[in-house]
Amino acid sequence: MDFALPDDLLALQRAVRDFAQREIAPVAVELDREPRFPRATLRKMGEMGLLGILTPEAYGGLGLGYLAYAVLLEEIAAADAAHATIASVTNGMPQSLILTHGSAAQRDRWLPRLAAGDAIGAFCLSEPHAGSDAAALRTRARRVDGGYRLDGSKAWITSGGEADLYLVLAKTDPEAGARGITAFVLERDTPGLSFGAPERKLGQHAAITTSVRFDDAFVPEDQRLGEEGQGFVMAMSALDGGRVGIAAQALGIARAAFAAAARHAEEREAFGRPIREFQGVGFKLADMATRIEAARLLTHRAAWLLDRGTQATKEVSMAKLAASEAAVFVCDAAVQVFGGYGYSADYPVERYLRDARVTTLYEGTSEIQRVVIARQIHRETAR
Amino acid sequence: MIIATYVKHVPDAEARLAADGGRIAVDDHAYALDGMDEYGVEAAVRLKEAGLADEVVALAIGPARSEAALRTALALGADRAVLLETDDDLDPLAQAGPLAEATRACGAELLLVGGKQADWDSAALGPAVAEALGWPVCDWTTELRLEGREVAAVHDVDDGSEAWSASLPVVVTTQQGLNEPRYPTLPNIMKAKRKPLERRPLTATARVVTLAAALPSRARRGVRLEGDAATVASELARRLRDEAKVL
Ligand SMILES: Cc1cc2nc3c(=O)[nH]c(=O)nc-3n(C[C@H](O)[C@H](O)[C@H](O)COP(=O)(O)OP(=O)(O)OC[C@H]3O[C@@H](n4cnc5c(N)ncnc54)[C@H](O)[C@@H]3O)c2cc1C
Repeated sequence: MDFALPDDLLALQRAVRDFAQREIAPVAVELDREPRFPRATLRKMGEMGLLGILTPEAYGGLGLGYLAYAVLLEEIAAADAAHATIASVTNGMPQSLILTHGSAAQRDRWLPRLAAGDAIGAFCLSEPHAGSDAAALRTRARRVDGGYRLDGSKAWITSGGEADLYLVLAKTDPEAGARGITAFVLERDTPGLSFGAPERKLGQHAAITTSVRFDDAFVPEDQRLGEEGQGFVMAMSALDGGRVGIAAQALGIARAAFAAAARHAEEREAFGRPIREFQGVGFKLADMATRIEAARLLTHRAAWLLDRGTQATKEVSMAKLAASEAAVFVCDAAVQVFGGYGYSADYPVERYLRDARVTTLYEGTSEIQRVVIARQIHRETAR
Repeated sequence: MIIATYVKHVPDAEARLAADGGRIAVDDHAYALDGMDEYGVEAAVRLKEAGLADEVVALAIGPARSEAALRTALALGADRAVLLETDDDLDPLAQAGPLAEATRACGAELLLVGGKQADWDSAALGPAVAEALGWPVCDWTTELRLEGREVAAVHDVDDGSEAWSASLPVVVTTQQGLNEPRYPTLPNIMKAKRKPLERRPLTATARVVTLAAALPSRARRGVRLEGDAATVASELARRLRDEAKVL
């Protein structure tokens, strides 16, 4: 058993760390205060190769696996979580779905643009009435001559209105439940496609989130991904990879909060000594570091299983659950270590806490991860 | 025209150092391409991109791990790399001879060297290798142009800057401000693994031998002044004037 990351990956990690700290970290505070979709830095991320990490080199991506994906995304998140969310969606969902289920023509058409960052991808599953219970979605796709017409609305779509390509799940057969769901790829300028105003959120303001509406939006047949009725199964299997991305993001935020807290505990004095010397603070740092380390090991192992082509639904959910809960715990503890300064927007830890909070919610809440893990345990036990 | 650019694998500015038995111990992963050398690689690659050079060769002297610095240079755009491999900690003068030889061997007519090497904190290598080659040297260069076989450069001097020109072959040493080095992109880092890198064993004798090494101690020098406000203020003023001499 070898826990060391391969040298090649360490070289990439170092390059991305330098890049993220020099190009992304400096704009994080400004983007938190005056939210805007960070086009300029996304473009640089595209040039760096960070928007097509998993996409094969033949399509202009890096052709790397999930372990590399997790390691590199953690570096982005440690600089700014909103960038990591945007990158995680465009890399993890549209690209991986088009790659695994797209026809040759669809791959040629969309993957190079996405991998280069010339186009940003969005993933439209959730609806106002269907979040955790995603299969209850109501957006309707009716077959018409030459394609489909879509009606309905989506909620909470990351990069809504900003993204160029929208991977949309809609019901082609409302009677068939999850097996009546089909996937489509829509370009932003599709007539009948419109977007709500950006949601006002607790954190990650630059990762613009909007509702998306379809009013009789026509989608040509060649923009259907996979067969009719396969959409939900496809989306759920892509979520395994997507969740590794969220776990990695949570690790990055947690790591940044921990580093800030550890430094503060060395520098801040109370009662005539550095506060780290108080066991109450030292134990907190010890717990924070332990939770991060444990979550990182789960995340890297889940990614490694995916890279080996092993079924890893349970391990991925464990990683996502552990990493997102660790991030919230660590960021909250970091605020405590900072004392009153932790509550001040002049210090970074309150932002880390706000940014981390969503990681236990999207791509499946912590409760849903437990549902998935429990279901897998049952399958293993009952057989 | 071939450009050679020297690169050194040095401890990262943020590397954690430990003194171990009279040597400085640094984790292998805490080394990086010397920042001063990045300017040289960038300058060479820009000249090539402008069609003014045919090939950029990165040269390094050092232990096997120096390959990482060469791979970075290759990722930044150098075409091939040569490592003169030695585990000896060669001082700048001891490096100058082998570097001059390697420069000639690759047929280069312009050699770029970092204005200063971070590990020895020395600016001697550029001038020393120029001496060994018998070429002119422009050090601490902040602007570099190539017109035909004429090199036009600007370098910093104490009271301003000097413009300077010479015909190839020339040694140029770098200075902050020469350019804004690009990042190695991930695709280029991956492609760099497939570019040619030649290793040659180097036997050279160090002229300077390190006898001992120690880290500067980080004693806390803070002083807490006690007493009422007036006493503390006058004591502070006295110390600032008489001891720190800042008033
Ligand atoms: C910032 C942000 C960005 C997002 N980006 C996207 C995106 O790009 N694309 C997209 O499709 N979606 C996106 N989402 C939506 C996200 O995936 C959903 O919010 C999430 O799945 C939860 O759904 P919900 O909000 O409807 O909560 P609900 O499903 O209403 O859940 C409410 C509560 O009930 C709990 N609960 C529900 N079912 C169970 C159960 N069976 N057992 C136990 N507890 C349960 C939940 O855990 C939660 O605590 C985003 C959300 C946010 C906040």
